[in-house]
Formats: sequence, C-alpha cells, structure tokens
Amino acid sequence: MLERPVNPTQLLVSALDQVQAWENRLELKRGELLKEANTTDTHIYRVKSGSLRVFVVDGHEEHTIRLAYQGNILVALDSFFTEEPSDLVIEALKRGAIDRISKSAFFAFLNAHDLWDTWHATLPILILQQMERERDLLTSSPAERYQRVLKRSPQVFQEIPHKYIAAYLRMTPETLSRLQKS
Amino acid sequence: MKTTNAALIAELEEYVKRHREWALELRTMPLEALSNSPKPGAWCALECIEHLNRYGRFYLPEIKRRLGDCRSATANSAFRSSWLGEYFADSVKDKPKLNTMNTFANMNPSGSTLTVEVIDEFIEQQEALLGLLKQCLLTDLVKTRTSISISKWIRLRLGDTLRVVIYHNDRHMAQAFRAVG
Repeated sequence: MLERPVNPTQLLVSALDQVQAWENRLELKRGELLKEANTTDTHIYRVKSGSLRVFVVDGHEEHTIRLAYQGNILVALDSFFTEEPSDLVIEALKRGAIDRISKSAFFAFLNAHDLWDTWHATLPILILQQMERERDLLTSSPAERYQRVLKRSPQVFQEIPHKYIAAYLRMTPETLSRLQKS
Repeated sequence: MKTTNAALIAELEEYVKRHREWALELRTMPLEALSNSPKPGAWCALECIEHLNRYGRFYLPEIKRRLGDCRSATANSAFRSSWLGEYFADSVKDKPKLNTMNTFANMNPSGSTLTVEVIDEFIEQQEALLGLLKQCLLTDLVKTRTSISISKWIRLRLGDTLRVVIYHNDRHMAQAFRAVG
C-alpha cells in the first residue's frame, strides 16, 4: 500500500497545491531580487518557472548557497526560523514565476489540515541536506565536488547557467567545463 | 470524508465481511488457479493475499495497541478524514483506472513459495479486524492515532488508518479474483 516511499516535502507541496494554500504568485524578471541582504523574509516559495540563486556577499565575492529551478522549494532558512534579518540574497537568474506562502499562513495551514507530523518529518531531511552541502564544501577535489552534485541533482545542469553552477561548486567556469568533458 | 463513527464502521464492516467471503471462495479453488500469474511479472492470487497479510501483520497489532490507550467516543461522534488520510485512502482505492504502485521490497511476496495457508491467515486477519472495528465504534477515531508502515514520523487518525488498510485489501482482493480468471 502507499507503495511509494513517502517524501514528506512532496506531500506538503501536494497539500498546498490541492487546498490552494499558496497566497500569491509573483512574476520575476531576470536579475530581480526576491530578497535583499539584511532583510527578514519568512516566506516559503515554490518555483513555478525560471531559476534562482541564493547567495551572500563577502567583500568583493559572492558565495552561492543554493540554486533553485522549476518545482523546487526555496526558503531563506535562517530568516524563516529566527524571524530576524539575514544577509541572504535571492536573485532570479531567469524570468519566471514563483508561488509563496507566509510562515504564519503556512502554520495555520498545518493546523487546519492536521499536517504537523508531516512538517516534522521534513526537518531531518533539511538537516541532512545541509550536511550534504557541508560535505560538498569540505571536499577538496574539484572533480569529486562536481561528481557529488551531478549525482545528487543531475537536472541542475539543464536548468541553471553554468557560470552559477561553477560558483556553487567553488571552481571557475573553465574548470567545470573541463570536468564535464572528461 | 465527513461522517459519523457508526456510518464509517458500518461501511468498513461491510467491506471486511465481503473480503472474508471472497477469501472463503478462493479457498475452494485449486492451487493451480491460485498460483496462476495472469501475465509475466504480475502477482497470482496467493501473492496478492500474502501482500495483504504482510501489511496486516503490521497494522492489526498497531491498531490493537492504540486501542488499548485511546479516548472514547460515541457512535454518533463525527469523524472527518485528514488531508493525508484522504490522500492515502484515495491512492490505494480500487478504481477503474488503476495507478500503478511500486511495492516496497519487503512487502513484495513475488518469488516466495506460497500455499493456501496464506488464505487461512488472511481469513483470520479479517476476523480479528472485525473484532477491532467493534471496539473502534466507541473510540475517538480522530484523536486516536496510529503509526503507519511507511514513515517513522507520520501518524494517521485511526479512522483513516482503518480506511486505508481496508481499501487496500479491497484493491488486492479484486486483483486476486482477476488473477484466477
């Protein structure tokens, strides 16, 4: 029965879709900032189309934290949990559309539909994803970093301009291109 | 789904009694028919039933355990499915155009050597389930929750668990009958 392994994140998204709990849909232009540095943003976003990146600015450098494309859930996690300003920036890489729900509306939705268990089931997944990313960053070989991400999310290479994937992998676009050929 | 304890339990009892009858009927058929795979890779009747037995071995003790420590209610108490309960019940229901599902390996009896004893076990499980349904009539089917076999984190309202288990039985009993031809 219930023969698919249950992915709690997918269950929540199905429920949000089905009861039409998303509060609004935003159209994004290329380069538009969904969140600026030092702002508080506790929304949960779901990418309908286009692609985005999450980054922080460190002096003259930008560090790419996450890439998101169609179907992905996107949250400024630090701000979401602390409800305080964070230095994360979220930028649209392509023109697209995104659905969003505020944290308070989301929690009301969990109450109304008795979905707290399912929410709790997503938390360990979030932690494990963060650990995977931590391991990425600790992996010294660029080739291995590339292989890890290729294995984890092959689709990212179809959806995101390679210059941003290279930044996410902490390598130059030339190195990424060489690794992809080899 | 919004109903009362009495109406839900009556509906489910009808299903379980029907499943018991179907099983008794299958019990009279030759082993050859019961082991007939309708097409390559498809389950024979015994495999369908063994699949249900495996879930029963998880859910019956689980339901029983939760009934030992539950809130009571009356036959007229309201029962409403949760979103998840509805979602799972819908995904296992027998319907004209079946969604294909991928069974977890440990619930897939394919390749095991099965005898008609699997039908005896299924019939025993249906008797036990009827007994549990009687107790459920006066139990709060919303506040009482059970674990589910597929996630350590997610629990379902008892009323929803009963629906999911019994609709799932219905799906595969119908499949078992199709398999014997």
